[in-house]
Amino acid sequence: MTEPPGRLGRRLSERLERIGRGLEDLVLIVLLSAMILLATTQIVLRNAFDFGFIWADEVLKLMVLWVALFGAVAASRADKHISIDVVSRFLSPGLRVASELVVNGFTAAVCALLAWHSGRFVYSAWEFGDRLVGGLPAWWFQIVMPVAFGLMAWRYLLFTGATALRLANRWRYREP
Amino acid sequence: MILVGLILLVLALLGAPLFAVIAASALWGYYRADIDLSAVAIEFFSVGTMPFLLAIPLFTFAGFVLSESGAPRRLVRITRALLGWMPGGLAIVSLAACAFFTAFTGASGVTIIALGAILYPALTQAGYPERFNLGLVTSAGSLGLLFAPSLPLILYGVVAQQPIDELFRAGVLPGLLMLIMLSGWSLWVNRRERQPLSEFSWREVAGALRESAWEIPLPVVVLGGIYSGLIGVSEAAAVTALYVVFVEVLVLREIPLRELPRIMRESMLLVGGILVILGVSLASTNIMIDAGVPQKLLAVVEQFVSGPLTFLLLLLVFLLILGAILDIFSALVLVVPLILPVAAQYDIHPVHLGIVFLAAMQLGYLTPPVGLNLFIASYRFEVPIVRVYLATLPFLLILLISVIIITYMPALSLWLLPGT
Repeated sequence: MTEPPGRLGRRLSERLERIGRGLEDLVLIVLLSAMILLATTQIVLRNAFDFGFIWADEVLKLMVLWVALFGAVAASRADKHISIDVVSRFLSPGLRVASELVVNGFTAAVCALLAWHSGRFVYSAWEFGDRLVGGLPAWWFQIVMPVAFGLMAWRYLLFTGATALRLANRWRYREP
Repeated sequence: MILVGLILLVLALLGAPLFAVIAASALWGYYRADIDLSAVAIEFFSVGTMPFLLAIPLFTFAGFVLSESGAPRRLVRITRALLGWMPGGLAIVSLAACAFFTAFTGASGVTIIALGAILYPALTQAGYPERFNLGLVTSAGSLGLLFAPSLPLILYGVVAQQPIDELFRAGVLPGLLMLIMLSGWSLWVNRRERQPLSEFSWREVAGALRESAWEIPLPVVVLGGIYSGLIGVSEAAAVTALYVVFVEVLVLREIPLRELPRIMRESMLLVGGILVILGVSLASTNIMIDAGVPQKLLAVVEQFVSGPLTFLLLLLVFLLILGAILDIFSALVLVVPLILPVAAQYDIHPVHLGIVFLAAMQLGYLTPPVGLNLFIASYRFEVPIVRVYLATLPFLLILLISVIIITYMPALSLWLLPGT
């Protein structure tokens, strides 16, 4: 077995993990509630007072992007992304762990690439001073992409580490 | 090039998240075409600018709330009161209730869990053979796919840039055809048991209606509003989400307030899973269209196909295979942009194409080895998966016949459209 990390370190990392999850959930809940309230307010204003916020439609669309990405972060955490998964059932336990290792490593790498390149996209939007929603800096809204893909990359990196450990343990116990 | 494709295919089959596989293929495509890779991010960002997408998180959330409340039980009671007098009543009740609930919850598999748990034991109690019940509940779990406001219909409208209200209208008759054919089959199978479930009773109808008094305005406003074109899809979705929370949490109090964050999180997890695939698919289809994939596809198709009839046959076979491997949402966002221009060459109406696409994909929920409904039913009713396969087979065949009819009778889809 590998040396377990210090108790303090583990407690700290567990606490950080819990705070992180809480924050992810909070973002989702606030976004969804705000979407429902803003969209319905808009309907009431339009029909009753013949009035509406001109920015509301654009903001609502951008909120869909945010909800989508934070929902994807939550799906990564639970490893519940849509996948095909037909072959793994027929693999031996050892091969299954090995294939999980490859799959998790691959997903982490792709997410990291997406985070990096969307970061570059946001950076250039910042540099050129792109504007959205009646003059607000575009990067305020776009920053969610590198952040979310970064969190997903981090999550799959943790999965990769965990599967690598499992594989190493299998290997060790198999040795006479 | 082929090697990269093969590696990605193997990764997908090993269970890599589809969004990662599609993103990898997009990144690879841009890299080969010498385009800056941040173009993938630019494409992905358009998830935040597309119209109608707002309806997807809102309807999904509302559907999750409804399925955790007492609404499924009340829905079964109403349908029973209204249709239970027919011979073979409960089978028809089950099909109708499932179709309605699926449409409202957007075909995410919650129907089998929410309604199956009520209908499966009820059917067994009423003396229907176990195997029939299992098949019925499993196949009914995706039956309402063609009725408004199902999510796949909305997503097709977004991806194919077709008016969503027209798609909703187009789905009505094909959806009814499926419902009627399955009902007919259920009556035929149980022809020896012609016992109606119960006498028709105005008192029971009134009681059932009173019990659901809070929920009845919902389908009336949403379906009435959407089908008449009075309110937009996103508006209907917003009203539904707010109203459902108001009724189930505050008025009926069937869902405690502290459960709401969990339901929000779970529903948005599904939405995130779907929309992140949409985002990366926008990038990958863009590069494929740049590379002329639709034209190449057309060139290949032309070798086998002489006219619209053979094209539809080829399309149907392709979609059935696709539906057996891919889930409906991924298949939609990946494939529709590529086959749309090809279908246009054969004068297939884009709305009709959408209905055919979704109807064929609906079979994908039931086809081994990866049909979603099969797994959910096996898991939910604790039955071995092979038994679910066999029980569902006759229903699958009936639905296949209905899909063939829908494919070759465009009028069925287009009849209710304005101006045709």
